[in-house]
Amino acid sequence: MIALLIANSLALASLLIMLSSGLALIYGLRDVINFGHGAIYMLGAYLGYTIALVGGFWLALPLVPVLLALLGIAFEYLALRPLQRRSHIEVALVTLGLGIILGQIIIYFYGGEARSVDAPKILSGSVTILQLSYPVYRLFLIVMGLGSCALLALWLRWTSSGLYVRAVSQDPSVARMMGINADRLSLLVTSLSTAFAGIAGVLAGPYLSVDPGMDVVMIVNCLIIVVIGGTGSIGGAIIAALLFGFVQVAGSVFLPNLAVLVPYILLMVVLLIAPGGIGRGRVLS
Amino acid sequence: MTDDFHASATATFGGSTSRLSLAIVVGLIGLGAGAVVPTWLASDFVLRLGSEGLLLGLLALSVAFLMNQAGLVALGVASIYGGAGYLFAIGMSDWGLTPTAALCVAFLILLVYATMLGALIVRTKPLAFMMLTLAAGEMISHAVLLEGLRDYTGGADGLVVRTNGAVLGIDAARFADPAQFWSLAWGVSVLIGLALWAIARSRLGAVLRAIRENEERMRFSGFNTFLPRLIGYVLVNIVAAIAGFLHVLNAGFVSPESLGLFVSTNTLVAALIGGISGSLGPILGGLIFSFAQDEFGARGLTQLLTGVAIVVFIVVFPRGVVGGLSGLSKRLGWRREAS
Repeated sequence: MIALLIANSLALASLLIMLSSGLALIYGLRDVINFGHGAIYMLGAYLGYTIALVGGFWLALPLVPVLLALLGIAFEYLALRPLQRRSHIEVALVTLGLGIILGQIIIYFYGGEARSVDAPKILSGSVTILQLSYPVYRLFLIVMGLGSCALLALWLRWTSSGLYVRAVSQDPSVARMMGINADRLSLLVTSLSTAFAGIAGVLAGPYLSVDPGMDVVMIVNCLIIVVIGGTGSIGGAIIAALLFGFVQVAGSVFLPNLAVLVPYILLMVVLLIAPGGIGRGRVLS
Repeated sequence: MTDDFHASATATFGGSTSRLSLAIVVGLIGLGAGAVVPTWLASDFVLRLGSEGLLLGLLALSVAFLMNQAGLVALGVASIYGGAGYLFAIGMSDWGLTPTAALCVAFLILLVYATMLGALIVRTKPLAFMMLTLAAGEMISHAVLLEGLRDYTGGADGLVVRTNGAVLGIDAARFADPAQFWSLAWGVSVLIGLALWAIARSRLGAVLRAIRENEERMRFSGFNTFLPRLIGYVLVNIVAAIAGFLHVLNAGFVSPESLGLFVSTNTLVAALIGGISGSLGPILGGLIFSFAQDEFGARGLTQLLTGVAIVVFIVVFPRGVVGGLSGLSKRLGWRREAS
């Protein structure tokens, strides 16, 4: 029972980690919360649905992140860079508007009904581990989520570009004075962040449903996680995503009537105890 | 926020005393005429659209006030706007209150909710505030759909609100009449617009703007930076609640859509279209949005329009229609530069 609960919350948290660490990355570099992240994730899910119909799930999994990384490059050049000098609130509102536009375009092409994606054969069915039967796809999701999380940590910790990202996140002006090109870095980080959203979208297909409301649900969840984690702190976001996943799954088991409200209650409790969130991110400006 | 957003506010009143008093007289006549003249000229349909625009304008007014004075963007006004309707309906049908009592009880509940939520979130920085208001709004719109509350809220179907008798001394039937409702909505909009205009010029407004510029400096200077922001936030929610009550009395119906995120984003768009500085812009923005929605809504383009409008007005016209017009008139020399 407890093992199942933890496994389920890890599966949900895997998706949330990929999305909220992307949000935290962009925030660290650009001081902007991307309110359109949910729509990018939704685009990833719908593109994944289409590509999976044509070429199968295993084609969609690498192709969608590449396509969305291109979108991220466009986002960086067409929105973030021209608006660098505007206030962060204004840029955040622009991303909100862009997210609504993207969501509406997707709904225009795909219509309003929910779609379902089948997991590939090798991942459907379930395995028995320690006398517990568990769906293979969720295990795959956990491996993908924790794997990408580990890769992200390795990149940030051990490569020079990762070092630069951490430097800019800690103090943008000093990092710039030391000769770090924040624009080039931001291009990398933005495309990485949208690519992660793409992977999350494809992976969400067989696990959750692909429907027109998924962008708002996910962005609200991610915003809660980012606030709980301490904005801009990637480590905080990861821990908050794990906590969120656990609370959400436990809530749906023990308080099925109130399950949808549990994340908000968690948010309020954390805000009461630690208004700055649990991580050590740069303070929101 | 940038200076662009509120530069026009300071430039609105200039010129000599006689020109000023003339402007006041013309303004008062205009405001009075606005309540009556459209009811002679416009059809019921146009009046209904206009009233909806005024209510959206009221919401936009509240959001714009907080944006302009405190630099905070509230994305959760819908929860108060729709919540007012729900609580009013529940008060009458489930708690057996008279319409006026239900109105007062609903208002008190909203006041307590806004104060508690505000106490929790106005401490945070503007970006976090925006995220938290969005989350709180979504929480309410989920809560209404809870299975356990279905008997009260009617779930996804919403509630039909039958108001019998008088509300605050006004016969309920008069709210449903398009012409009379237009006059009422107009009057309320003018009063609230003037009130917020006065508050922006009071000490509270000055303190809020100073906190917006540099919260830390104000704290070091010995000012309480928490209470003014809380008051500002509660004030905004009071306006949203009034708009919500007017809406439910007019429509006789509340639905989960009235709590949805798109009410909040439409409000934001209305504020941005009109321009967030001053009281005239948001009301005008609400009217423009309402008629534009009628034009494009039939083709299912409303939400796309909302997204495009947010982007265009922030990137290209950050001062909105009113700010843009006053800038234009200044450039053409119609009005003297304010010192």
